Formats: sequence, structure tokens, C-alpha cells
Amino acid sequence: MWQQVKQALADSTAHFLTRLARLLPGLAALIVAIVVAIVLAWILAVVARRLLTSLRFDERLGRWGSASLGEWSPKNSPTILVSRTLAILVIVSGFLIGVAAFDFDWTYWSVQTIFAYIPNVVAGLAIWLVGNIIARFLARSVLIGAVNLNLQYARFLSIGVKWLVIVLAVAMALEHLKIAPGIVQLAFGILFGGIVLSMSLAVGLGSKEFVTKSLERDSKKAASELRPSEPVEADPLRHL
Amino acid sequence: METDVNPQPVQEPVQSVDLVVSILAEFDSAAITKTYEELRALPGPLRIAVLENDQRESLAPVSSAAPEGSEDQKNAVIFHVSSPSAKPRGNPGVSSVSEAYQSVFAAADKLQARGCCVIASKHESEKPGWIWQLAQPLFDKGVDLVLPHYARRKFEGLLNNGIIAPLIRALYGKRVNNPMGPDFAVSQRLIQTMLEVRAGGNGNRRQLLASLTSTALCQNLQVAEMHFGARVYSPTDWTAMSSVLADVLSPVFLDMERNAPCWQRTRASAALPSLGEPRYVAEDKVDLDIARMIESFQLGNRELQEIWGLVLPPATLFDLRRLALPAAERFRMSDELWVRIVYDFALAHRLHTISRDHLLRSLTPLYLGWVASYAQDLKAAGASSPEQRLERLSLAYEAGKSYLVSRWRWPDRFNP
Repeated sequence: MWQQVKQALADSTAHFLTRLARLLPGLAALIVAIVVAIVLAWILAVVARRLLTSLRFDERLGRWGSASLGEWSPKNSPTILVSRTLAILVIVSGFLIGVAAFDFDWTYWSVQTIFAYIPNVVAGLAIWLVGNIIARFLARSVLIGAVNLNLQYARFLSIGVKWLVIVLAVAMALEHLKIAPGIVQLAFGILFGGIVLSMSLAVGLGSKEFVTKSLERDSKKAASELRPSEPVEADPLRHL
Repeated sequence: METDVNPQPVQEPVQSVDLVVSILAEFDSAAITKTYEELRALPGPLRIAVLENDQRESLAPVSSAAPEGSEDQKNAVIFHVSSPSAKPRGNPGVSSVSEAYQSVFAAADKLQARGCCVIASKHESEKPGWIWQLAQPLFDKGVDLVLPHYARRKFEGLLNNGIIAPLIRALYGKRVNNPMGPDFAVSQRLIQTMLEVRAGGNGNRRQLLASLTSTALCQNLQVAEMHFGARVYSPTDWTAMSSVLADVLSPVFLDMERNAPCWQRTRASAALPSLGEPRYVAEDKVDLDIARMIESFQLGNRELQEIWGLVLPPATLFDLRRLALPAAERFRMSDELWVRIVYDFALAHRLHTISRDHLLRSLTPLYLGWVASYAQDLKAAGASSPEQRLERLSLAYEAGKSYLVSRWRWPDRFNP
């Protein structure tokens, strides 16, 4: 019986060592892939940081109205944020390549799924970024336009427009990422509808005076055209 | 052989003329007919092409002069030439008016005209023959550009008086009252210069109206001013104020960028040769409502600080915040402050600090603040004529030029 126990132990040890030996090349490949990725990430981060610094990326981003990005960034510098993000992406890619080196079906399938998901992530990020840029541009346009029309709630309108576009962009990005699509759609509908309703109420109630004055002006103009002999209050200002 | 008592207008193909006259203003048919008669009364053998388009269908037929070579040719010969572009209608922007001017210049060049006269505004009252008075210096005195000097009331042409004219004066060293016309007389030499600038790609279509005067001054061509009566201005559309500012100032600032090597050298200003007798208009005693403009300025001060902060230095922002505090009757924007604001916006336009359209539209509350302050100054001085007040403003622009040159050459050093 002892012989059988010894045999069973020898067999399982041999089996274990065989399987471990089969893992070793994959493990070595994983370590090499991570080390190479770290080196590449470091080089890429340095190049990206120098390039963005020479382009004055932080300053330009501030002018485009994305100053808040600086607040989320390490050391208040979007340049460092971008360079570190690139580095992390390279390291993660290296890790995935190393994992794929293990000759197991499930590792191969996992890596394939992750790589197939990357285009969705890129598209989602691009939609979110473009949405942000458009939101800030539109917010600024609405703010300036509303101030020039003497609307006291110009700031509110501008913020409302900005958040409308951002909510839309985030919903589109999440749909691309296929994250809880049903819940996202419902939440988006409620948020978007809520923002539009509150803006409509604010504009409708807040611009009562503006609409009244506009209607009075139109009716005076129509009346003066019917009775040309009556003098009309004229604005003496002529700009051009 | 029967002779035709009422000869038909000359429809022969025109090879060359002495003068091209283009009427871009919306004259009624009676005014146009009168214009034609005045032109026909000019001494021969002047050959004048009048650019017309299909819109003027109600024009009364104009009889032609006797055929050339005949003994009776004492009067000018008028040719009707199809205008290559439509007349700008309503309240056209600078770009559409510039397009019309471009077409007129191209037609004048094609017709090898010695001069070109563009009438783009209506006048309250003018002496007969005033169009020829505008064009005559091109032939008699060798002038390349005749600009109008309209008699003005205190609240007319504020954009020109507050920004464009004093800016051109400070930049190019010539005291031009109406650098953007819109009525001009232009010599063949200047027409060809403008067409070359256009073909060289240094200018774009929108700049012609804005760059005509500056090009003539930079090229050291002969420029003179002709006195006219008051012109008719279009009424103010308060909802489109920011569009007007953006539309007018953008080509002016673009032209400033193009001519930087020229204007950075000039120092003091000199008067232009003046033609004709100065004309004056009676001022109406109007009471201007400045409350709306001050309110607009204060709202801009509250809400646009984030945008103004990208363009204006902290000292200017501080002055603007202080300006928003006192009551309306004590509201005064100093000339020095206004001049620095205009120069800072010109620099921001060049540097693309923010979208150019946003930049110029955000100037609107500041411009309205200046208008309110200007009205207050005139009221306090009891002035019936704005000349002294505007002269002070022009001197402030000249005095502030060193600030502009410094910021233009070293924008990083003064970056807010």
C-alpha cells in the first residue's frame, strides 16, 4: 500500500512540476513583456511631456475653457495627466500581451475580448472629449449672446446648455461602452428632460418682461405706420 | 433719311472709359435719373460707365449723347454696363459690401478706367454735381483715394468715431474721418494695387472695405478728404449689435495684423488734404437713454469676467470692476481705459486667444459702456458738437500706441 501511496505522490508531483514547467515560459514572457512595457512607457511619457510642454498644452487648454481638467490632474498639470495616462496604457498593453503568452485557452480568450473592447473605449473617450469641447464652446456662445441681449439669467442658460450637451455626450459614450444600456437610457431621458423642462420654465418665467416689451414695441410700430402724423419716439443712436 | 428724335440709350460694347460710377445705395428711380442727368451734364469728351443691375427695372430711360465724332458732343457719354454683382440689400454686412466693391473694381480694371466712384450711402441733402466733386480730384489733382468727410451729429457713426477712425489715425499717422467710407473715389493705380493684393492671397474678400484706406496710406499714395453733408444712417438694431461689432471689427483687426510692419513705424499724425467747404448740421436736442447701456455694461462685467480675463490684463479688469460700482450719473469710462481695451482686443484677435467671433461679441458690453460714458461727457460739457470730445479720444489713441506696440511685439511678456 505504501508503494501505491508513494506512486500516487510521485505521479501528482510529476504532474504538478510538469504543469509548472509549462507555465514557466509564459511567466518569463509575462515578466519580459511588463519590463519592456515599463521602459517603453517611460520613454513615451518623457516624449509626450516634452512635446506637450513645447506646445503649451496646459495654457491652451485653459483658454479653451477646460481649466477644470487641471484641477483633476496631478500637480494641476494636464500635461502630466496625459503623459501618465499614455504610460499606464502602454504598461497595461504589455501586461495583456504577457498574459496572452500563457498557452491557455481562457487567457487567450480573455485577452482577445479585452482587445476587442478597446475600440469601444477609444470611441467612448473620443465622444466624451468632443462632447466636452462642444459643450464649452456652446456654453460660451450662449453666455455671450444672452449677455448681449441683456438677459439677467445668462449664466444659468449657459450652464444649462453646457450640461445638456455633456449629459448627451456621456450617455452616448456609455452606450458605446455597452455599460448597463437600459439604465443609462432611462437615466439620460430623465436627466435631459429635467434639464430642458427647468430651462424652459426659467426662460418662460424670466423673460416675461422681455416678451412684453417686445410685443409693446411691435404694436407701437404698427400703430405709427397706421397714423404717420403722430411722432414716434426715435432712438438717436447710429453706430454704423 | 429720317432722324430719330429720341435716340435710344447706347448699347454698344464698351472698350474703355474714363470713369466708372457704381451706385450701391438704394436710390429710388427719381434719384437715379437725376444722377444720370448730372453725369450727362459733365463736360465731354468724358466717357463714364454706370454700373447697373437688373433690379432697377423702374429706371426711366436715359437718352444718350450724340454719337462720338459728331460736332454736338459737348456732354459726357454715358454707358450702361451690367453690374457683375447684385446690389447689397437692407442692412448688408461688411463682407457683402466688400464683395460688391470687389466686383466694381474688377469691372473698372476691365474697362481700363482712370478712376472709379462708388456711391454706397444716401445723403440728407447734397448739392447738385456732388458725385463729380468726389471723382474730380482723381483727374485734376492726381489723388488716388478721395474719402468722404461727412458732417456729423453727436450720436451718429459711433462705431467709426469710437474705434475705427481714431485707430486708423493712431496706426497710420493720418487724420482720417471716415476710413471705411462708404462713398469713395479711387484711382486706377489704387484699383490695381487692391486687385494685386487680392490676387496675391494676402487679403481675403472681407478686407477690401477695411483695407482700402490703410493700403493707400501704407503705399504712400495720395489721399484726400471731401466735405459732404450729413449722411443717412440705418437705425440701430439692438439685438444685432454684437453681430455688427464682430462683422465690422474683424476685417479691421485682420488688416491691422497684415500691415503691422507699416504701422509700427509711424509716430505722430498729420491732417489729410481737405477738399470742399466744411459742412455743419443742426443738432437735435435729444435725450439719450443711457440706463440700458450701463445695465448692459454691468451685466457684462458680472458675467463675462472669465472671458475678459483671457484678453485684458488685471489692471484693466480692476478698473472695469470699479467702473461698474457708481450710480449711472457718475458713470465715466476714461479714454485711456477704452483705448487699452481696444488695443488688447486687437492683440487677442491676432493671437487667437479665444474664438474670434466670441472675442468680438464679448466686446459689446464694453462698447456700450463707452457710448454711455461719451454721452455723459457731452451732456456734462453742454457740447452741441462732438468734435472736441472726439479729438481728445483720438489723441488718447495716439498716446496709447506705445502700449500697443509693446504688447504686439512681446505678447508673452504682458500675457494676462
